Amino acid sequence: MRLEGRDLVAGYEERTVLDGLSVAVPPGRFTVIIGPNACGKSTLLRTLGRLLKPRGGSVLLDGAVLHDLPPREVAQRLGVLPQAPLVPEGVTVADLVARGRQPHQRWWQQWSPGDQAAVAAALADADIAELAARPVEELSGGQRQRVWIAMALAQQTEALLLDEPTTYLDLAHQVEVLRLLERLRDGGRTVVAVLHELNQAARHADHVIAMKDGRVVATGAPHEVVTEQLMTDVFGLACAVVTCPLTGAPLVIPRP
Amino acid sequence: MIIRVGPASFVLHRRTLLVTIGLAALLVAAVVVAAGIGTRTVPPLEVVRALLTGGTEHDVIVRELRFPRVVLGVVCGVAFGLGGALIQSVARNPLSSPDVIGVTQGAGLAATIALTSGLAYELVAPSALAGGLLAAVAVFAFGARSGFAAHRFVLAGVAVAFALRAGIEVVMSSAESIDALRAQIWLIGSLNGRGYEEAGAIGLVLLLALPALLWAARALRTSALDDDTARALGVRPAARRLGAGALGVVLAAAATAQVGAVDFVALVAPQVARRLTGAERPPLVASALAGAVLVVLADLAARMLLAPTQLPVGVLTAGIGGPYLVYLLIRRRR
Repeated sequence: MRLEGRDLVAGYEERTVLDGLSVAVPPGRFTVIIGPNACGKSTLLRTLGRLLKPRGGSVLLDGAVLHDLPPREVAQRLGVLPQAPLVPEGVTVADLVARGRQPHQRWWQQWSPGDQAAVAAALADADIAELAARPVEELSGGQRQRVWIAMALAQQTEALLLDEPTTYLDLAHQVEVLRLLERLRDGGRTVVAVLHELNQAARHADHVIAMKDGRVVATGAPHEVVTEQLMTDVFGLACAVVTCPLTGAPLVIPRP
Repeated sequence: MIIRVGPASFVLHRRTLLVTIGLAALLVAAVVVAAGIGTRTVPPLEVVRALLTGGTEHDVIVRELRFPRVVLGVVCGVAFGLGGALIQSVARNPLSSPDVIGVTQGAGLAATIALTSGLAYELVAPSALAGGLLAAVAVFAFGARSGFAAHRFVLAGVAVAFALRAGIEVVMSSAESIDALRAQIWLIGSLNGRGYEEAGAIGLVLLLALPALLWAARALRTSALDDDTARALGVRPAARRLGAGALGVVLAAAATAQVGAVDFVALVAPQVARRLTGAERPPLVASALAGAVLVVLADLAARMLLAPTQLPVGVLTAGIGGPYLVYLLIRRRR
């Protein structure tokens, strides 16, 4: 599935965050968006995911203008996990994950065997099957994050956009989520995530989009983008980039 | 619980279903008791006979004196319960009920103006309806700038409600005292001296709203999610908030126009229904039934408590509903 943004202008109220940004998401790959705080990463993700309507330019989904397509049809093809969603009071894990089936349901078809299978698979993939009957409010931040990911998985879309999916998670669970995203990519899905941790981006991504001040500064494979010069420019931080002894991926180390 | 018919399937939550059946049974019992109790008390079985077959010695008391008022209580309770459930769901806030966000106050101001300016009495209810809807339009207009973000909607509503209440005071204090008294009585809300005519007017609105209610019942399934998450699932949160909110306003305004400001039903009935069913948002049918039970019982108490003096039902809906909600809140903590 091809997803691209052309000459995007987007923002909130008076503030323009993206001003004429163009970007293409390679299909079937794991793309990571990096950049300093307030550089427009989330705004770009929300615009690509149809959560925010651009003021100018357009997002194209397989060549069709995303914001002109029926929302339901888009939700069957494109899953989005926003940053820190609100947990409804009293809802159980299984109930919340089942919401992911919304775009596939009709008023006369509220719970098909397909829905059942998709939710069971999503619970298993996110490793939360044993939490199914628990109220989401009672879970830890890390468990909740996996519940939200499971909801997006239950949506069974070709592409999945995630805004900081590893926030609130401890290192082991961060790695687990990133491996899950890799497995989804291996299964043929297009995955886009905003990540803060550069070394994780460099290690797990196929494609990196580096942003600064609402513009795309560089795109490409991790070893092309995660370089000393670019990281120093983008983050304004003197750093060294060495090769990871375990994976061969670039490893960013701030200079003392 | 899943019901499958060929490729079709429907989801029913067992607890919601049980609570709904329980509330329906409670409503039937409340109706029979309310139609039976009075200065001359008729036993429940006699009430049922008088209503179903007629030909008893109590026919006049039950069928002509008491039942019309009970029916009005049921119908306006249903309208308030549904209106409250809809508005609370879209605003994701239990405080955003029509009597808090200005609908009741808008209807009250219009009725007060109508009653103190010597307008024909037949025009009071239509004026009140128009006033309630206009107030809602003002609230929606304020809320529209932020794409109907939930918190702005409530805040705008509270502001409009206060402004309108001030307006009522202004009109009242400058009116003749006899007119002000009539307006005061209207404002408190009562089923006294009212019956089938008012019930029919509210019932007609409910009937016309039925297709929209069926749409809302489904559209609200994801209303407990925040807007971004709902959008990601292909829902249009702003359109849904506008549609379901407007529907709730129309129902509440229609009921207020006929019976006056029966406070608190639209606020408390959906919350009682939500806590009984354990749902994340007020369920529509259970809210409607809870509203009807509350109004019928409150009106019975209003008739009997200081008999022969009749209290306005609005005083009792707050008096019964409030403590019950507090009880449910406390019980949940344990």
